[in-house]
This record gives sequence, structure tokens and C-alpha cells, in this order.
Amino acid sequence: MKAFLAYTKKEAFELCRTGRLLLLLLIFLLFGIMNPAIAKLTPWLMDFLAEDLARSGMTIAQVSVDALTSWTQFHKNVPIALILFLVLISGTLTNECQDGTLLLLLTKGLPRRTVLIAKAAAGILLWSVCYWMCYGITWMYNAFFWDNRIVPNAAASALAIWLIGVWLVCALILMSSFAKSNTTVLAGVALLAGICYLAGLFPPVSEYLPTQLLSAGALINNAAAADFTKSAAAAGISSLLMLIAAVRIFDRRAL
Amino acid sequence: MNILSLSDVAKAFGQVRVLQGLTFDVPEHTIFGFIGPNGAGKTTTMKLILGLLRPDHGTITVGGLPVTYGQNRTNRMIGYLPDVPEFYGFLTPAEYLALCGEITGMDRQAVRRRSDELLSLVGLPPDRRIRGFSRGMKQRLGIAQALLHEPKLLICDEPTSALDPSGRKELLDILHTVRDHTTVLFSTHILSDVERVCDEIVLLHDGKAALHGTLSEIRAMRGSSGFEIEFLRQEDIARFEALLPGGSRTDRLTLRYPSAPDTALQLLAHEQIPVRRMEQLEPTLEALFMEVTEK
Repeated sequence: MKAFLAYTKKEAFELCRTGRLLLLLLIFLLFGIMNPAIAKLTPWLMDFLAEDLARSGMTIAQVSVDALTSWTQFHKNVPIALILFLVLISGTLTNECQDGTLLLLLTKGLPRRTVLIAKAAAGILLWSVCYWMCYGITWMYNAFFWDNRIVPNAAASALAIWLIGVWLVCALILMSSFAKSNTTVLAGVALLAGICYLAGLFPPVSEYLPTQLLSAGALINNAAAADFTKSAAAAGISSLLMLIAAVRIFDRRAL
Repeated sequence: MNILSLSDVAKAFGQVRVLQGLTFDVPEHTIFGFIGPNGAGKTTTMKLILGLLRPDHGTITVGGLPVTYGQNRTNRMIGYLPDVPEFYGFLTPAEYLALCGEITGMDRQAVRRRSDELLSLVGLPPDRRIRGFSRGMKQRLGIAQALLHEPKLLICDEPTSALDPSGRKELLDILHTVRDHTTVLFSTHILSDVERVCDEIVLLHDGKAALHGTLSEIRAMRGSSGFEIEFLRQEDIARFEALLPGGSRTDRLTLRYPSAPDTALQLLAHEQIPVRRMEQLEPTLEALFMEVTEK
């Protein structure tokens, strides 16, 4: 436990002092503000373009925006933030293996699984902080400009996206347990997500696939939350299995 | 008692058989030189001792406990300094040592005390970020982290090869200072370093221990490698060469013979030839190294 805390503290130092934490917070802050801002600016933008569009024969009906418009933006933008997040943390383990910094700590008796579990915990915690901050900012603007009560499923749909983020962090740890570089890690994660997505095109399996959670944006348009319980359970269970596999693989890896 | 024992250890990478039945023991409180040409398997052996690689055959024990691959119970007895140690650039030396101390399970007070001691021993600032340290500074921090938990065995992989002469001397002095508490195993191909500090050596060649023993034992094993006479005058050396052929000139006034000096002594006395010096030659480590590795 002492070793786990010490190593996690090192991870925290690394995030703060290399500026990566600041960068991630800025990105998610920006995305958090962007969702309501785009919604708020849409009518103004339409007005601005209306004259040009009218000249080319298009007429624009009255555009009405509300909290739903902003939450729709949230679900459109958050996958991009998630990809940026994964790219920024992709080298978390491979860099330390490559430059030999981890080797010294392992020779001091730091158990390999401690490294992996600390990395996974730090990744999930970081994702949670960034993501829920982004959610919170959007929620506050929405409450200020409009009314969040017209979207009762906003939290449930956001929870689904958070879970897919956790699942991808675990996939990233699994890939890092054997890959030599962060590009391989990213390629592996992309491949896994791609396979899941393609398999999702076949209805009998689709409801059991974690990637199905990516379409949880439909919840804000009053889709039933029950449609996603199976894929949520699958994401939870497979995250755990991926971490167990990562520990077993990393224990056997020659460094 | 032996702190480290290797028995019939073999390791191959694909078709390349790096170690083929390596056996040697390291007694406690010695500075043990582990020498061999580049690519002889020195680093591989060290990684096997640290449990970072799995041996194909044979056993390794540290302090009486067997080393098992991937697990690191025995590593708590070992301090390791790799050839090019790398550290987290965003930490300071004091923070890095604190991290190492917590990992090895030392209590906070002890870590702080040891870290102050060691940083002043190696002469590093405790509060400057490691990013921007020179190679020599990293090597010294490497020594500090390796000695932090007062290990029974200190393993250094070519610790001096990247250092300038003064850095090298400092490092060898440090190794000398710690030998009272710690056994040092260090690999190198710089033979003058070996002659300066080592008590015992093993010479690795073709995946085996080609020579093993104390420095004097090894020299004795090879016996004498001849003698040298330095004369005072040019005409003397010419006269003596005619009397006792088979020598070779190493400079204008010096002759070297590969044989025993008995005949030469008799001749010198009989012919009344004055000499500046006459010296029995000991085999140098370099000569032994060349002899073994070129066989």
C-alpha cells in the first residue's frame, strides 16, 4: 500500500509539473463552455446569415434554442475531448519503460502490478475530474440561460459517456502492458474500439457491446435508459477483465 | 559467506547463446570486478540477478534466497546502478530518493537522514530538478539511490565508462568507502579501474567464467612473463644481445626476455656488465585479458 501511494504521488507530481494536468483542464474547460456557447450563438449566427441565405432562396424559420440544444452539443463534442484525453495520456507506461526510469524502481522491489493499478487509478481519476468538470460547466450555463429540467436524462446519458471513457482508459492500460510505444498503444485502442463498433452493426450482439454507450446521447431525447444497461454492465465487467489481463501480461514482460 | 551465487546459469536470446553455464560466487564485503569484452553478457547476467530476465537454466541466489523472475523479494537486498541511469526529470534528487525510500518500505525519518547523507557524499544539490543534470551528475544520483536502503549487495553496470578521469576517481573512491557495509559487484572493461579497487575478479568469455579469483591468485596462476634489463650504455646492450640471443628491444637501452632470468644473471656477473635496473615482469591484467579473449 505504501508503495502504491508513493507511486501514485509520483504520478500526481508528473501531471502537475509537466503541465499535462493544466492542458487537460483547459481543454475540458473549453469544451464545457463551448457547448452552451454554440447553442446560445446559433440564433444570432442564423440571423447573421439569414440575408445571404434568403438571397440564395432559403428562408429560415424561427430558431429556438434551449437546454436540449446545449446537451446535444455536449454529446457531439465530448467524443473529441475523449480522443484528445487518450492521446495525451497514451504514453503513460510505455514512456517509462522505454527510457528506463521504471526499471530502477522495479529493481527496488516495486511490484509490477502496483505500477499498473496506480496508472489505471490515476487515469480513471483524471478522466473523471476532467469530464465531470466539463459536465458541470455545461450544466451551470444551461441552468443560467435555460432550464435543465426539460432534459431529465442529462445525468444518465453523461454517466454512460463517462463509463465508456473508463473502459477506454482500461483498454489503454491493457495495450500498454505489452506495447513498446504510445503509437502502438493508440493503434491498439483504436482497433479494439473499431472492432466493437463494427460488431455493433449486428443487432443481436450490439446491445452487449461497451461501444454502444457512445450512442447514449439518445437518452436526452427520451430513449429508455434500460436500453443501455446491458452495454454498461459489459463495459464494467470488461474493464475489470482488461485490467486483470494487463497485470498478468506485464508480470511476464521482459524489461 | 557468499552474498551472491550463480550456478550453471545459461541464457540465450533466440539463436545467440549469451551465457553457457556461468558459475561463480561473490563473498561478502569484497569489491568484485566483473570483466569481459563488450557483448560478453555482463549486463545480461546483472539483469538475471535482478530477476528482470528469466534464465534458461541454472540457479541464482542472493543472500541465500533464490532469485525468481518477475518477483523481487531478493531485490530488497540489492542496490542497482545501471550503465545509463534515467530519472524522472520533474523531481528533485531529494524527492526522488524519498520515492525510492517509500517503495522499499523505509520509514520517513530514515529516508530523510540517509538522503541527506548520500546527497552530500555524492555532492548533489537536493532541491534542483533532475532535468538538466549532466551524465556525471545522473551517475552520482544513481549511486545515491542504489545505496539508499543500505543494500547488502551493490550492483553497478559499467559505472565509470561514461565519466571523465576526475568523475571516475570520485566514483571509485565512493565504492571503496562503502565496502565496509556492502559487497560491490561491478562490471567494466576498463582494466585500470579493476586493478585500482577490486579484490576479486571474474572474467567472462564465451558465456563462461574464463578466469576467477583474487588479483594476486590470477597473476600467480599465469606465472612470470619474463624479465627486462635496462643498460647504462649502448655498447653494453649490443654486447649482451650477442651473448644471450632471444631478447627484444623495448627501447634504446632496454631488452626484454620471455624466459627465466637465471642465465642472464650469471652472464651479467661473469662479463661484469653494469645495468641500471633488472626487473621480473608480472603479467598485466591486459595481457591476461587479451590472452583469454583471443584464444
